[in-house]
Amino acid sequence: MTLSPTARPRPALAARRRAAAPSDDGDRGALSAPDWRRPAVRWGMGGTHVLLLVLLVVVGLGPMLLLAKYAVTPTQDILRTPMAVFPHGVAWENLERAWNDVQVSRYFMNTVWLALGSWAVQLVVATTGGYALSVLRPRYGRVVQALVLSTMFVPAVVLLVPLYLTILDPPLLGRSLVDSFWAVWLPAGASAFNVLLVQRFFDNLPREVFEAARVDGAGPYRLFWSIVLPMSKPILGVVSVFAVIAAWKDFLWPLLVLKDPAIQPLSVRLPAIEASTELGVFLAALAISTVLPVAMFLVFQRLFLRGAGLGGAVKG
Amino acid sequence: MRSTRKPAALVLVGALTTGALAACSGGGDPQDESTNSAGQVTLSVVSLLPGSTEEAVAAFEDQVAEFEKANPDIDVQSEEYEWKATTFAAQLAGGTLPDVFEIPFTDAQGLVENGQLADMDAQFRALPYAEQFNPTILEAGTGDDGHVYAIPAKNAYPVALHYNRQLFESAGLDPEQPPTTWDEVRQYAKKIADANPGVAGYATMTQNNTGGWQLTAQTVARGGRTVETDADQKATATLDSAGTKETLQFLHDLRWEDESMGGNFLLDWGSINQEFAAGQVGMFTSGSDIYTSLVQTNAVDPDSYGLAPIPLSDAPEAATLTGGTLAGVPANVDDGVKDAAIRWIDFFYLNKLVDEDRAVADAETLAKNDQPVGTPVLPMFSKEQHELNQEWIADYVNVPLDQMTAFTDAMFDLPLAGEPSQKTQEVYALLDPVVQAVLTDEGADIDALLADANTQAQALLDQG
Amino acid sequence: MTVTTTSPRGDLAAPARAAGVGRPRRGPATWLRGGGLHSLVFLLPLLVIFGVFSWFPIVRAVIMSVQETNLVTDPTFVGLDNFRHVLADPLLWKAVQNTLYFAFLALLFGYPVPLIAAVLMREVRRARGLYSALAYLPVVVPPVVAVLLWKFFYKGGPTGVFNTVLGWVGLGPYPWLQDASWAMPSLVLAATWAGAGGTVIIYLAALTSVPAELYDASEVDGAGLWRKIWHVTLPQLRGVLFITLILQVIGTAQVFLEPYLFTGGGPNNATVTVLLLIYRYAFQNSLGGDYGAATALSLMLAAVLAVFSVLYFRLTRSWSTS
Repeated sequence: MTLSPTARPRPALAARRRAAAPSDDGDRGALSAPDWRRPAVRWGMGGTHVLLLVLLVVVGLGPMLLLAKYAVTPTQDILRTPMAVFPHGVAWENLERAWNDVQVSRYFMNTVWLALGSWAVQLVVATTGGYALSVLRPRYGRVVQALVLSTMFVPAVVLLVPLYLTILDPPLLGRSLVDSFWAVWLPAGASAFNVLLVQRFFDNLPREVFEAARVDGAGPYRLFWSIVLPMSKPILGVVSVFAVIAAWKDFLWPLLVLKDPAIQPLSVRLPAIEASTELGVFLAALAISTVLPVAMFLVFQRLFLRGAGLGGAVKG
Repeated sequence: MRSTRKPAALVLVGALTTGALAACSGGGDPQDESTNSAGQVTLSVVSLLPGSTEEAVAAFEDQVAEFEKANPDIDVQSEEYEWKATTFAAQLAGGTLPDVFEIPFTDAQGLVENGQLADMDAQFRALPYAEQFNPTILEAGTGDDGHVYAIPAKNAYPVALHYNRQLFESAGLDPEQPPTTWDEVRQYAKKIADANPGVAGYATMTQNNTGGWQLTAQTVARGGRTVETDADQKATATLDSAGTKETLQFLHDLRWEDESMGGNFLLDWGSINQEFAAGQVGMFTSGSDIYTSLVQTNAVDPDSYGLAPIPLSDAPEAATLTGGTLAGVPANVDDGVKDAAIRWIDFFYLNKLVDEDRAVADAETLAKNDQPVGTPVLPMFSKEQHELNQEWIADYVNVPLDQMTAFTDAMFDLPLAGEPSQKTQEVYALLDPVVQAVLTDEGADIDALLADANTQAQALLDQG
Repeated sequence: MTVTTTSPRGDLAAPARAAGVGRPRRGPATWLRGGGLHSLVFLLPLLVIFGVFSWFPIVRAVIMSVQETNLVTDPTFVGLDNFRHVLADPLLWKAVQNTLYFAFLALLFGYPVPLIAAVLMREVRRARGLYSALAYLPVVVPPVVAVLLWKFFYKGGPTGVFNTVLGWVGLGPYPWLQDASWAMPSLVLAATWAGAGGTVIIYLAALTSVPAELYDASEVDGAGLWRKIWHVTLPQLRGVLFITLILQVIGTAQVFLEPYLFTGGGPNNATVTVLLLIYRYAFQNSLGGDYGAATALSLMLAAVLAVFSVLYFRLTRSWSTS
């Protein structure tokens, strides 16, 4: 695998490389185009890729396909012969019952409302706070920043019980927020990660633009709304993706504060009815709950993957 | 920059004002809103288990409508409810329990001590049949001061043996002859498991405190007791009694020697019902009243259901564990709500047991919606009252009582034992892992597990 | 990061002050004129939300850990009793052991595997999007759905899904969740399935940002595939790898969903994690929880994680590029 120590074949090699591969326009991994042309690499790596693809299909797609199959299989078949292919026909009524009796749509909408509200609160807090800390910079800004940063080192578990008690008995309000979406929306805004992300982004915005706007007579509100926010679309996109995904995954907190089944999201409701729902219908409900997120993912793939990747880039 | 100060100031003032307004209007606890100035009372009550069928819900709604017609000054709001230790605590702490909620017998004393139940004595004594209650049942909800805090509501039950008649037949057993001794249970379980691969001939609950509950029930049926209370209300943990060891050894043998307990051992009250209704369990013990739930939430096939008393061993103290459901009212409600509550409790839970017209009307509503009528329960009043009641609703009974004769014939002669009265749920929680260990670890040391659990239980009981 | 009035990032209030507004005393008028009100207005949402739902609860947690609270009567100060009580709980050591076991297994399955997959995927020349989509698909499935689905797959006995499939190749029915020594690995397997895709994508993004020139240069020096990966790829990924490691450890230390939904902590407490224990202290007892013990334990967990983080950063400081 090492180059033979002949005298300087480099220019020719370089020329061949440039002339060669379609995949080599700066976008290359450890293997270069010439590498790919060697049969050992081609078959070895290619074979590995095929293997990887098969594994990904079985592991990534397999469970989803099984779920789809069980969603329309009669319960007794699922229990007795789970891998048989519809020995007693298809049970379409599982889906109908999951939709009507289990009312998956209602809990799905609850999940959506929770996600939207949390997203909104997080955006408001992160943008206004980040703007104040980064652009307006009051004297006490450093103190606030330190306080916000310090909460990143406090694991969520510490907040669990006292936050619950605060929701039971919020200051000023006098009535419990339990069984209200606010109990989930408001605490979601306290994300130091979001604030720091946005603040760092604002820090990197060119000050000249601000100066120019100030000279034109823009006050802080105008500056925020018409200059800073429009320039921040990338970071707002990242924050949004994180916010929505986090809200979707949320389980323990809604379990504690949303006791009324009517407003529970899917994550809380599905386990609660596991024992009282026939298996086929239950799996159909699971399948329906998966359809929309998966569909959204397939449609907005690039956004998801970019957000997920960016998260890593930002963290690194 | 000067020009933007005004809007900023306005925003701040606006925010503060809104906050102040919210504080003022939100003052006071939610229960105050229940009785408004016109005397209209909003009463929140519990309805059914989550996931109940449409017909069950319809039957309930019919009953609510009937009540509201007879009591125009009460507006009933119902909510689904399943008593689970974790959610109940949260609701209690959050003040979100409905005005009339249900608790198992085991919880009542603790709630009374903590002052979390309303004193319903006055309202209770006003009921015409207040004096006729079976004293053992009434005791569960009575405080040390002799006042009634929680009212017996429904499903006073002895723990019984439920079996699947179709699985019996598949194993060549006679469904009319359920087992009467634990040895027979073992034999039958083996036959069922052999004839139906993957099915559990016998199963038992193991999670969410129900493991400890059923272990206690099976211990008591073998003459043991898990907690002994002396005259001074001092409790001693006796988890390592002979009855408990026998029960665990029995479970061990069925699981590991006969392999007749199937492959799934993490079961609680809801999931074992589900497994049973799906034909995956041949026999198990639970409260005698679960047939209603099996129909309402698990769509059980009525032809497959059989009920028998829990087998009692020859030990002198062998008895059947009892339990039941009480109706309670949160402590901080006003009298208007309490009066409305007692009227609802009377209408929905109790009246049908003593008044012929109500019994018939109630049975009719339930039967119309294909809901079970006549599930065997322990009589809340006297045996005579119970038999009278059965006569009244005879036309509407739609549960397969002829498949339950083994139980109903013996029902009144069963020696009964109440659940331990102190730290009941906590002791049950301690026993869950013991049952799980025996069923999932072949080498589990029963004596060591019980000794350990006993020490912990005693520490709990000593805490008072 | 010091801020001076001459810095290009100077705050907007600077001009007003620099314009020489009278004496250097800052009274309310100066504050107002300096735009202080606007800053406050903008910070208001953050201050309120963080104050009520983050800072106040943290302080309250510390206070509650030294009190006995039962929501009916007023809390009473009990000193370090809660901590002693928690440390004396035999279940605590089981929980710590289980949590460490989970974290260890999760690292074992979930740390190198996504890396290998990402490195391989980086080399894919055609339809790379397909690989990414397939890898990320499990992440998109709502976690509760994933757990409930896997719970069903893990059903014991010969008729469970996994047991049926394994039965095709003659591997006996396994107990999965029904056996204390199988339960935790089963949980980790399900959790890894659900989470590895996210890590793959993060690694892939980081790999994409590795400059091609580095590879070109190393090839000139005669590096083969493995040397390229060892000397170019991995060092470039250092930052991401370190951050992912510690985030994963901190995350798995607080695992709750899988133990709660799969086994409820069983069988025989084999899957009770620290967070599940905290939940039990606070919310399991139907008559009101032991909030003091729960907050005490959560503070202890936080302290342990803090110490770990500090040690971790100290240790890796010499290795990390950032």
